[in-house]
Amino acid sequence: MNKWLIPAVTAVALLSGCSTVQRGSIPVVDSGSAVSNSERIQANGGFRQTTVKRPAQAQTQAIPQGDTGVVVMVPGGGAVASAPISTSPITPGPITPGPIDTSPVQSAPINQGSYNMPSTPSGIPSASTGGGLSADEQLDGPVLALLTTAQQQQAGGDLNGASSSLERAQRVAPREPQVLYRLAQVRMAQGDAAQAEQFARRGLTMANGRPDLQASLWGLIAQAREKQGDSAGAALARQKAKVSL
Amino acid sequence: MRPWLGWALKLSLVGLVVLAGFAVYLDAIVQEKFSGKRWTIPAKVYARPLELFTGQKLSKEDFLTELDALGYRRESVSNGPGAASVNGNTVDLNTRGFQFYEGMEKAQPVRVRFSGDYVAELSATNGSKLSVVRLEPLMIGGIYPKNLEDRILIKIDQVPPYLLETLVAVEDRDFYSHWGVSPKSIMRALYVNTSGGRMTQGGSTLTQQLVKNFYLTSERSLSRKLTEAMMAMLLELHYDKREILEAYLNEVFVGQDGQRAVHGFGLASQFFFGQPLSELKLHQVALLVGMVKGPSYYNPRRNPERALERRNLVLDVLEQQGVATAEQVAAAKKMPLGVTTRGKLADSSFPGFIDLVKRQLRQDYRDEDLTEEGLRIFTSFDPILQMKAEASVNDTFKRLSGRKGADEVEAAMVVTNPETGEVQAMIGSRQASFAGFNRALDAVRPIGSLIKPAVYLTALEKPSQYTLTSWLSDDAFSVKGADGQVWKPQNYDRRSHGTVFLYQGLAHSYNLSTARLGLAVGVPNVLKTLARLGVTREFPAFPSMLLGAGGLTPIEVATMYQTLANGGFNTPMRGIRSVLTAEGEPLKRYPFQIEQRFDPASIYLIQSAMQRVMREGTGSSVYNVLPKTLTLAGKTGTSNDSRDSWFAGFSQDLLAVVWLGRDDNGKTPFTGATGALQVWSSFMRKADPLPLDMPQPDNIVQAWVDSRTGQGSDASCPGVVQMPYIRGSEPPPGAACGGESPASGETVMDWVKGWMN
Repeated sequence: MNKWLIPAVTAVALLSGCSTVQRGSIPVVDSGSAVSNSERIQANGGFRQTTVKRPAQAQTQAIPQGDTGVVVMVPGGGAVASAPISTSPITPGPITPGPIDTSPVQSAPINQGSYNMPSTPSGIPSASTGGGLSADEQLDGPVLALLTTAQQQQAGGDLNGASSSLERAQRVAPREPQVLYRLAQVRMAQGDAAQAEQFARRGLTMANGRPDLQASLWGLIAQAREKQGDSAGAALARQKAKVSL
Repeated sequence: MRPWLGWALKLSLVGLVVLAGFAVYLDAIVQEKFSGKRWTIPAKVYARPLELFTGQKLSKEDFLTELDALGYRRESVSNGPGAASVNGNTVDLNTRGFQFYEGMEKAQPVRVRFSGDYVAELSATNGSKLSVVRLEPLMIGGIYPKNLEDRILIKIDQVPPYLLETLVAVEDRDFYSHWGVSPKSIMRALYVNTSGGRMTQGGSTLTQQLVKNFYLTSERSLSRKLTEAMMAMLLELHYDKREILEAYLNEVFVGQDGQRAVHGFGLASQFFFGQPLSELKLHQVALLVGMVKGPSYYNPRRNPERALERRNLVLDVLEQQGVATAEQVAAAKKMPLGVTTRGKLADSSFPGFIDLVKRQLRQDYRDEDLTEEGLRIFTSFDPILQMKAEASVNDTFKRLSGRKGADEVEAAMVVTNPETGEVQAMIGSRQASFAGFNRALDAVRPIGSLIKPAVYLTALEKPSQYTLTSWLSDDAFSVKGADGQVWKPQNYDRRSHGTVFLYQGLAHSYNLSTARLGLAVGVPNVLKTLARLGVTREFPAFPSMLLGAGGLTPIEVATMYQTLANGGFNTPMRGIRSVLTAEGEPLKRYPFQIEQRFDPASIYLIQSAMQRVMREGTGSSVYNVLPKTLTLAGKTGTSNDSRDSWFAGFSQDLLAVVWLGRDDNGKTPFTGATGALQVWSSFMRKADPLPLDMPQPDNIVQAWVDSRTGQGSDASCPGVVQMPYIRGSEPPPGAACGGESPASGETVMDWVKGWMN
């Protein structure tokens, strides 16, 4: 062994004793917002509040557009397109054979989940929630399983876990408005009223023909707007909630 | 005499003190490193876990591809985690279980029955229904430091049968009885050293090998050998045999993967067999242990004969030592090496997507956290879609290779799920496995006509002025810009198309009518629409912006089209779902966020026009390869002189943006339709998406209009077509055309015809 090594080694030994590095300190970050207990949704924590079943009233009013009710200005009858409108139907969705659809009004697609729902609904998630689903809102299969998991996580205070499970459900059934409704509820519980409103609005665009769910979504939007300090908007949303039923 | 003795005494005393001091020093080193965190582990990046549920759209072929990538063994009867058996349309498998952000997915036996391209039934093997099951996610890469050592940490109770016995039998038979050094092997090593002149003889104990790899450099000298022996003994003094063995299992070097050093049996098992260590069988264990002696010399991929010989030698040793019976050894010897071929799903690298993940992570973590803390990164990456995207690029280039200049053309592609805003696949280079310039994220190129939906959407948001059947002039014109330059747009075919319906301007991508419309609604308003669609880049309000003179990256285009596809709700693109610590504790989530930017009704109209692009416009060649029942929406884009060939479009559940062009911005032989759209169509055919089906908003009405005049008509009339309008903007309905007296409709038509003539 080289002689110079001896003092060197001793020095290193001393130094290394003093400089033990503490490893494993990752800053724990969570992007989820803080939980606000005051914003906890209904104590039942259930899928949704039991909505009073009423026969759905006539059709929902057209949502006032900034620009509705205006007569369109079509240039005089003399004009002719250099090419006619192709006669293939332009309506979204599976193409109906033949160019002419005999029904004058296209019925809105209702609850076209991107998965095939088994035809036998297995019922409501859990009796203990105190809530329940009206007959037209029963879910089944993977969505039900994931919403149930999310509900348990939420009940246990794990809002991030609940959120994560709901996003999983959203990937499985992206067009099921109930998933968006639950996601909105959890965002609300997380204190993110703005996102809660957005999810509820997205849910509304998919909830055609489901008045109970529409009312619940509008109700949640009202809550979210209230929370964001928009009481006029909240009142409007509450109106919509009533109209929907 | 006396001074000499005195000196010797003093010297030896000093020597003893120095030796003791040295031992104390070594002891500190040994303990400090062994008791703390022993290894730095690069972050592991995982693909999305494959979800299984009844009614899920998933073909059996894709499912089996995924199982193969995950290293499932095909067996006649599936027993034990990581095994699968295929029986006609039914696949039985035992999932492995995995710790996810939302919780533990347990390992369980599952039966999946397929029907067509759907999962018809999901059940436990005892027949009871299962609602949803997740497979473990495929690991698609890691985030490595410069000097990269990689490993998958294992615990000693996770090892497969035979591993420990084999290791001890082959490397160190006295392991359980010695104190860190084996006097026998030291004597032998000394003998060989003195007679052979150089220290080349092995024969170290497992403890010494561990010390050598763990604490020391690879220098070979007597002093190092002595240090090693001392440290080995000190290690044995403080820690028991199982702890030492466990550390050995994780430390041992077993191979090199390019720049990455493969350490430990945990990673070696994945690297060579594509399976978790715990599932290895006798012949695989024998190969891994055999490789320890010379990882490069016995590399089973490069030197399969040598490796096989070595493996069988190890098996013989096991028989001699009574570790395995003669029958077991004979059976194991009959097995092939069983090493995965490189380049298949499990081994391919996906540099484009990993690049996206890294950039997102670097916003939240320091480099050291990513390369050292063993974080588990869960992403939305879909390996099946990625393989299909790569195949589409390759197939299309092969098909188009005859075109002059096609060879220099580069490619980029982004695939997302419009309903979740998640990036599912990404190609940053024509050679998808090439890690370099990531064009999907970094190539800012003029988008050409891809901007047109923003122009038309701006107009359609004013239903009092514009509907899909409003008239647009497609006559030539020129304007003087603010900079004094005259702008004189032209159509691609250099001619005017007279008067066209608004939607036709988009469907056929007419520049003149689009530019006129854009100027009418105002260039700044179009740019505002673009920003609302999610484009954050700023553009000057020049008229040429209306035809896509501004440049965007493919991922920015995907963000823009995402908003169109998702009912007017904007979503920031996400590639990462969540991050767990090495111990499986939740660390961070990247939540789903949306923001409504447009009224669904105007989006419904623009989607309708974009469907017309595919049915009758510039995208119609898509239906040469796809069924007519598949409703799609999209837009072609071609920049000046065909320097950029774009296509962006979507189905209900899949959005893809394709760019083709040259890095030197030279001319290509492709337009949007003849280049990028071909890749896009090929991809959609392979991916088999769901038809676009946006729910009709309440304030949309469908009206019957005359297909030539755009006037309100009736369903009973000839030449009528149904078009969507925002309520109030539809043309007044026309009279019915009864069977007996084809009334006004017919006469109008006759009148129109007469006027035409």
